[in-house]
Amino acid sequence: MKQKKDRMSGQERLDSLFHYRKPDRVPIAMSALGFSGKNMGLSIRDTYADPERCFVALLWTEDQYGWDSMPMHFRHVVLGAHDFGGNVQLPEGEYEGMNIVSHPVGSEDDVENLKLPDPKRAGGIEVATKFARLQESHGIPITFLSRSPFTMAGNICGLEQFCRWTIRKPELCNRLLDLAIAHILNVLRDWSNTFGAENLFIWLSAPSESNQVISPKIFEKFALPYHLKFHEEAKALGIKRFAYHICGDQNLNLPLIAQAASWRHPSILSFGHEVNLETAMKLFPRDVIYGNIEPALIQTETAQVVYDLAKGVIEKGKKAPGGFILSAGCQLPNGSPPGNVFAITKAVDDFGWYE
Amino acid sequence: MALMEDKERIIEDIRKAVISYDEEKCMSACREALVAGIDASEAVLKGLTAGMYEAGDMYSRQEYFVPELLLCSETLKAAMKILRPHLKTESSSTQGKIILGVVEGDVHDIGKNLVRLMFEGAGWKVYDLGTNVKLDRFLEEQQQIQADIIGVSALMTTTMMAIPKLIEKLKAKHSGTKVLIGGAPITQRIAEQFGADGYAPDAFLAVRKAVALMGR
Repeated sequence: MKQKKDRMSGQERLDSLFHYRKPDRVPIAMSALGFSGKNMGLSIRDTYADPERCFVALLWTEDQYGWDSMPMHFRHVVLGAHDFGGNVQLPEGEYEGMNIVSHPVGSEDDVENLKLPDPKRAGGIEVATKFARLQESHGIPITFLSRSPFTMAGNICGLEQFCRWTIRKPELCNRLLDLAIAHILNVLRDWSNTFGAENLFIWLSAPSESNQVISPKIFEKFALPYHLKFHEEAKALGIKRFAYHICGDQNLNLPLIAQAASWRHPSILSFGHEVNLETAMKLFPRDVIYGNIEPALIQTETAQVVYDLAKGVIEKGKKAPGGFILSAGCQLPNGSPPGNVFAITKAVDDFGWYE
Repeated sequence: MALMEDKERIIEDIRKAVISYDEEKCMSACREALVAGIDASEAVLKGLTAGMYEAGDMYSRQEYFVPELLLCSETLKAAMKILRPHLKTESSSTQGKIILGVVEGDVHDIGKNLVRLMFEGAGWKVYDLGTNVKLDRFLEEQQQIQADIIGVSALMTTTMMAIPKLIEKLKAKHSGTKVLIGGAPITQRIAEQFGADGYAPDAFLAVRKAVALMGR
């Protein structure tokens, strides 16, 4: 869907943001894998398992709602449990997402015996690579969708166990974190060689680092050092486009993240509805702010309410010194009423233009 | 028999050890309580439960987080093994019965597990159905157990949409049952829209809400 006064394509908007230039309007981006599949009549299983059909679904849905691929979201390239030998289940039923059936680490001994996975074949890497080839063939930035090392480490042994070990057995946490980052970087290096670092767009999400789970003290001790290592390597590889989904309520972590801010600037920083965008803009003036309409409300409220919410976010976000992209605060719910999703696009069309 | 000051000191040691998740100290203080002739149920109530209550309050205030609360509850559980055999009656400390489960399609259970630990610490009888609980299973279990409260959680916006369907089914078949819901995407307003009797944003407040739903 082309909006009334569009003067740029999605890629042009993305390029302008990464060069601190104002685009024609506020871009809209969504992490909308399940929604897009449903929108185009795919089963939830096929949405996750069939990269070709999913790619088409994402393209059509983006066009339908006037979204800009910033970047396009398929499944995670790297995931902890799956990649390290655990079992996952693709979604089947009406309510399901991808679920972990068994973790590769159950005991302390399992941590010691854990080996690095194959960076080409572990977990869902092959499926993600197929999707990446489709992006490449269409001239779209290739999304390297990864969990943070901390989130991945927790995923390997189960987050509850990992939480216990942060206090009782920190050495086990560090071993898992070392393995997690080593694997992420192995795959990242392989993708850089395969697709060219300049064509990659990293999207790193960190849900287990939310303060709904851990303290800022644990974040600083265990998560932050690995973010710094990750960025050091990403920059050394020459990857220019980076987005960090600071998932959930991470208000207590934000000052630490801002102080470190070791990524290339500008990067895209995605915030959940729990974070006040004005706080985010103040702490991260050199980066593009992305977010943050409350996802649950997109699903449960009326179109008018969603429109008003989007308007409020746009009015705040347009003031972001580093740039702004409108989105949901996390994944767009699969069951979001189409009218509500359109309401977001309409809000941008009504209020999102830069004069 | 312990002097009053000794008794208070021992119970305070139990309470503090729960809060500081020091299992060894807590177990040692519980043994000391028994040797000193302190009633086991008093040690549970004023030591363990009080300590867990304080830990839960610290969690609500974001002084404690999931790791700390997990370890506090494990400290309580370890100490309970020492005191339980000496409790005069189990049922005297039962505050109510609650069925807990993560709704169909969802396997995220940290929140539900914390809720379980808090309810157990507060003296409730908890029936934990686990994760990915089919809607009809909640009904079947309620038929058997006749719980006072059914606690349902969902972490995803996808899975939370199963909750209003569950509530509709529960109310149709067990109209007197109170349903308490929670989970990251849930809010008070959403809970009301779903027809839930109560909503709690965290494990500590869940217990308080349940008590309120029971009319206490």
